[in-house]
Amino acid sequence: MTIRQVIMMLCVLLLLTGCIPNEFKFENHTDEDASKAEELLKKDNRVKGVAALFHDDHLLIGIRVKTFSRFNKREIAREIEKKLKEEYPDLSVFVSADSKILTETNKLILKDDEKGLKKKIHQLISLAEEET
Amino acid sequence: MDKEKYAKLEQKISPKPPLLKNVIKAFLVGGTICLIAQFIALFYMTFFNFTERTASNPTVATMIFISMLLTGFGVYKKIGQVGGAGGAVPITGFGNAVVSAAIEHKSEGFVLGVGSNIFKLAGSVIVFGVFSAFLVALVKTILVKMGVVSW
Repeated sequence: MTIRQVIMMLCVLLLLTGCIPNEFKFENHTDEDASKAEELLKKDNRVKGVAALFHDDHLLIGIRVKTFSRFNKREIAREIEKKLKEEYPDLSVFVSADSKILTETNKLILKDDEKGLKKKIHQLISLAEEET
Repeated sequence: MDKEKYAKLEQKISPKPPLLKNVIKAFLVGGTICLIAQFIALFYMTFFNFTERTASNPTVATMIFISMLLTGFGVYKKIGQVGGAGGAVPITGFGNAVVSAAIEHKSEGFVLGVGSNIFKLAGSVIVFGVFSAFLVALVKTILVKMGVVSW
């Protein structure tokens, strides 16, 4: 393989991976008020993307933090989780800064299927708590 | 001719290594290896049940496997010639060190040749890896206690 081919391939790969959207998504299946969480997360300038899912007695949130805040991303997630727990005392809140949780929460929101959702949420939480 | 004189002469005659060029090459080669590893980590995260934290283990294993194959086919030698430290410092350099030592001593037999020499080069990597992991853990413990970073 010549060097030109390698460079071409890298360019294509970088172009394809360049545009992952950073957005704030909120899906509410409960009668809790989601706007409080929305306000809190949008106000936080370290966060650049959120997927939040209210379901039954669960609040599952995946966040994407800005590049230079990544060193403290677990602390940021813990801090936001604490704040949200105060806002929603009836829900069991789970916040993670792991990109896996963000993408999976996005998938659950897009799928829009409430059957078996609770099981999936439990699965994700146990996955995020794995240490190694 | 005494020692000092010889050293002076040797320094005068031997060509200067293109330092900046080597650094840039090493940066590019090492960066490309890490970029590939990042894609593999992304692959494990997308298609399997790995999180950002747990995906690093299978990624490292895959990278070592790939570099072992490349060493066996003689491709990694060329990468190392171009990249220098850029090819040796990432985890792929470890796989290369293990397999190249094994290939070199194959002719002396499988037990006394391969078995006793396979970690000839990589043994130091393991020793200093464990030692530096200890040091890094020490530094991180102190930083966490001071509240600069989180675990």
